[in-house]
Amino acid sequence: MTELKEKLKAQIIEQLNLEDLSPVDIKDEMPLFGEDGIGLDSIDALEFIVLLEQNYGITIKDPSEGKEIFQSINSFAEYISKNKA
Amino acid sequence: MKEVFISYGSIITPLGNSEEQIFQKMVAGDSGIQTAVEVGNKNENIPLGKIRDLSSDNHYIELLNRTCDQLIDLYGDMVAEKSTKIIISSTKADIEVIPNDSFVSTRKIIKSKLNNHGDPLIISNACISGILAINTAADYISHGLFDNVIVIGIDVLSDFVTFGFQSLYAISNEVTRPFDKSRKGINLGEAAGAVLLSKNNLGKTFTAKYLGGSSSNDANHISGPSRTGEGLFRSINKTLERSKVNTESIDFISGHGTGTIFNDEMESIAFDRLGMNSIPLNSMKGFFGHTLGAAGVIEVICSMKMMEHQILIKNIGIEEVGVSGKINILENNLKTEVRTILKTGSGFGGGNASLIIQSIT
Amino acid sequence: MIYSCKIEKGAVFLNGVKQPIGLSNSENWTKELYLELGLNYPKFYKMDDLSKMAILSFTILKDTVDFEKFGEDDVSLIFANSGSSIETDKKFLTSYSENESPSPSLFVYTLPNIMTGELAIFNKWFGENIFIINEKYSPELYLEQINFYFSKGAKACLCGWVENKNSEQDCTMFLMTNDGAKTTEKELLDIYNQ
Repeated sequence: MTELKEKLKAQIIEQLNLEDLSPVDIKDEMPLFGEDGIGLDSIDALEFIVLLEQNYGITIKDPSEGKEIFQSINSFAEYISKNKA
Repeated sequence: MKEVFISYGSIITPLGNSEEQIFQKMVAGDSGIQTAVEVGNKNENIPLGKIRDLSSDNHYIELLNRTCDQLIDLYGDMVAEKSTKIIISSTKADIEVIPNDSFVSTRKIIKSKLNNHGDPLIISNACISGILAINTAADYISHGLFDNVIVIGIDVLSDFVTFGFQSLYAISNEVTRPFDKSRKGINLGEAAGAVLLSKNNLGKTFTAKYLGGSSSNDANHISGPSRTGEGLFRSINKTLERSKVNTESIDFISGHGTGTIFNDEMESIAFDRLGMNSIPLNSMKGFFGHTLGAAGVIEVICSMKMMEHQILIKNIGIEEVGVSGKINILENNLKTEVRTILKTGSGFGGGNASLIIQSIT
Repeated sequence: MIYSCKIEKGAVFLNGVKQPIGLSNSENWTKELYLELGLNYPKFYKMDDLSKMAILSFTILKDTVDFEKFGEDDVSLIFANSGSSIETDKKFLTSYSENESPSPSLFVYTLPNIMTGELAIFNKWFGENIFIINEKYSPELYLEQINFYFSKGAKACLCGWVENKNSEQDCTMFLMTNDGAKTTEKELLDIYNQ
């Protein structure tokens, strides 16, 4: 799981062009959206859906499902490990 | 400031090739949107406002050529005169040629077909391009720089734009239902329309007075509309002020109404804040789909038809209004006095624009 | 009054004077400039190159102009280029034609006017915006538009020519205030040609 989380952080930084961040800046439990976390927005959430499909072969039909999945690195990684083909 | 007149020039949409034919279909409640097979990024079937009688592979070039032909038929040599300016409103123009420059063919066609003296002014400002182009045309007239300005709004369907809106999950898999409780998103469409702004009433087609217009940015988000409708609210206020018209004298609002949850909600909030709760309002997206850079222009033309025939056309697709601002969506066609019309639009980049036209009599 | 800034690979000009900012000619020059200016606006990294150049130019220009004196509706944005959003268009095309996943964040930047939206957000400006595609930089076009917006009540017009096409990347930006002072086409051409 730790390995998956670290990989995921690097992929997020790459996919969203978060050049000012490095994986250590993103804590596992940190909220990814909103002012308290790393401040991602609705377009980033849609970009996560692309990331899931491209890197893990997971398709999300309804973007509103993303809300729970993409809360934090913890929830994101947990979803991937459960649903990976 | 000089008086400015506005009249319709030409129009080609999924509902037909002349303004009268299109308007009669609108009166009858016909939609130009049909489900197209396997056109999505994953070969989904998607409802589109497609112009069926375009025969060539390149819809943009054919549509622009046909529009120029219609304008020459109507205005003759006036299109080429030094005192005439051409303005183009388009978001993506000839996008199928990407990676090459998608705006090159536009200049070429305008130059060779219309033989106009100057370069066309091309406005590309997302979904408010059409309204901005008309407002800019009026600036050229009221400042006395030109006698006539022809505004052509045009955009066509493409994989580029369809896949893009799919990636934003903004496309509805049903015919779009602006302002409805169960709306699911937009339908894309293609169209070209042209209006003439002029210093004199030329009387070639139905003519109204252009009173004023403006734009305002939401300063909020590049793709999400403001939750409070701030930019639209400010633009309409500025337009009312410039037009020297008060809210009470507006007979009809031609809204933007894309059919997405957030856009329609935002518009309703802005109109509610402006006290425009009882003014009849529609979105025409259920007839043509969202035609992007053409939308503002063709919707102004259809609004002028409503003024000409003194009938307001219903917002097709509406069953139950589902927005939080209190607004008066046209659920049926309405025979009534149509003297003063407010047209609005909103788009990506936080843009909002509006204009007011009024009948001459 | 007119205030101007031009940035390109390797050089920054402010009000006609080349600034002592060490920029390389690398692809990464906008990031270098962002760091050099000490700007703290994390959204910057997510922007397309047109928006990045607009934000950087504005940040430099802001040093010499008191923008606080303008209200939130007072500044009209008049922007133009010849290439529209062509470089992002190409990237978006690749995202669906080669990678089979159209990228939503690229798609929103396939409109050239997004950069004026970014400037409006950056400054909380609710004023008027217009984006024009023109074959080349045209002082006449700007003067025409500035005149329109001044007569409609703008206190200032922030104008820009922001190009990102093939290997060309540059941004010419100028602010004109509505104080009766006249600007000539030559002056506007000189700003572009420095």
